[in-house]
Amino acid sequence: MAFVAPGAIFMGLLIAYPLGYGLYISFFNTNLINRWDFIGLANYEAAVTSGAFLRSIGITAIYTGLVVLGTHVVGLGLALLLNRQGRAFSVFRVLLILPWLFPEVVVALLWSWILNPVYGILNHILMSLNIVSQPLVWLEESRLALMGVVGASVWTSFPLVMVLLLAGLQSIPAELYEAASIDGAGRITSFIHITLPGLAPVLVVTLILQTVWSFKHFTIVWLMTAGGPVNATNVVSISIYREAFQYFNFGQSAAYATIVFILCIIFAGFYWRFVRDGK
Amino acid sequence: MASNVGGVAFRYFSYAVLSAALVVVLLPLMWLISTAFKDDTDLFSTPPSVFPEQFTFESFLRIWTEYPFLQYFQNSIIVVLSATIIAVGFASFAGYGIARFTFPGRGAFLLFLLMTQMFPSILLLIPYYSIMQSLGLINTLLALIVTYSTFTIPLCTWMMWGFFKGIPVELDEAASIDGLGRLGAFVRIILPLGLPGLAATAIYAFIQGWNEYVFALVLTQTDDVRPVSVGIGNLVGEDRIFWNDLMAASLVALIPMLLIFGFLQRHLIAGLTGGSVKG
Repeated sequence: MAFVAPGAIFMGLLIAYPLGYGLYISFFNTNLINRWDFIGLANYEAAVTSGAFLRSIGITAIYTGLVVLGTHVVGLGLALLLNRQGRAFSVFRVLLILPWLFPEVVVALLWSWILNPVYGILNHILMSLNIVSQPLVWLEESRLALMGVVGASVWTSFPLVMVLLLAGLQSIPAELYEAASIDGAGRITSFIHITLPGLAPVLVVTLILQTVWSFKHFTIVWLMTAGGPVNATNVVSISIYREAFQYFNFGQSAAYATIVFILCIIFAGFYWRFVRDGK
Repeated sequence: MASNVGGVAFRYFSYAVLSAALVVVLLPLMWLISTAFKDDTDLFSTPPSVFPEQFTFESFLRIWTEYPFLQYFQNSIIVVLSATIIAVGFASFAGYGIARFTFPGRGAFLLFLLMTQMFPSILLLIPYYSIMQSLGLINTLLALIVTYSTFTIPLCTWMMWGFFKGIPVELDEAASIDGLGRLGAFVRIILPLGLPGLAATAIYAFIQGWNEYVFALVLTQTDDVRPVSVGIGNLVGEDRIFWNDLMAASLVALIPMLLIFGFLQRHLIAGLTGGSVKG
């Protein structure tokens, strides 16, 4: 108990208390300095009736869905291919992790530069290969901008999914595959009846974690598009940030944040139930 | 024979897909490096030159002389190292406590640790801003140190718990027979045994701190306390973005990550994929 106390007190003071304080702020109309008007649930009412907030939740859901899909298609595909012995494969394994090491700020700026319509390398490549005839204005056109931020996010996030799934694959006993092949099962049958069930526990964890992480993501989207063009990539973290630090509606912003928190708790509930049952 | 041909075909298919993935991973990195060595005219040439026409170290000199990157790096190092030491310190004690003792609220404490991973950290943004403001800590390195250590303690505790669980309790008992108290046993026997785990946890805390952006954005206002992430991010706000300087700064910010990874990839990969060898 004495060992745990310092950490518990530290976390109590610096996580639990601010969380409670954030909740408290969400019931006020406040600038945090001299205006503290208690308005009950008005901020929440404003949130759920405001088209802008609901739209940004919708955009966040689309962004999250695409990033989770992208990281898992790429991560699972590569993990399956990497799951074998050999020097070449260990080199691939190491090099494919690289994007995960990039700080988010660097990822965002690097991709903004790659996607630069005039001087960027991607348009140059696409035009050299005759895939497009005109340069694409990546981050200035709604649909392309969303693709751009999703692409950058997937690029930096897939390695962790890949590594975790690879570890999951390698924990499936080889005897199972041997037994299956003696019984005459082919590659696809083995995949469906051995690989997928064996991978399920890890897959659930990566799916949930990636969902929560993407849902609350801020940095890459903020630096690439700042939510634009015309709010096309205005994910909910950006709404929260703007409401507080550009419009100084701290109470409203705290209410937005609390709603996102509740959504994340729901995801977390699934996660906890799973982790606990898994043991 | 047929299955052999299939196996070979599958092998080539694997190499093809993995190589394609490698191109997608490495091309942005090459573009980053190439841009960092370009001069200003080369930077804005159309079509863009894939490799610098004229290799120059101008940008690498400029980030130290014309931008306050020396200050930014110094700030980052102070903040991140302090936060790492604090987080790992608290986490070792708490992790050991959870691993060795049962106490009321232990389950709830573990749940809390896991739940912190689900918080939108942006939820704490307003409370932290408000608390730091009332403590007069806005725009200080101390505010960042406190913030970063707080955010990493929960997962660090979780990690240390995992490592200490793996050390046999008999060692504690032997140590206490030898007349060492609980604390003595922990500091002299268990902690040294947990050193690899301690290193992994410290690295996690370091990477988190080094990459953090949004809290530093809100809690700092002048260059003398800004960390690298915010320094790089702010370059985008300029009227004309000098991408070569920006990429040079990004490359330097990436170096600590690459070094850590270079030293540890063997352990990291072995740790994650060790199951395969043991079967």
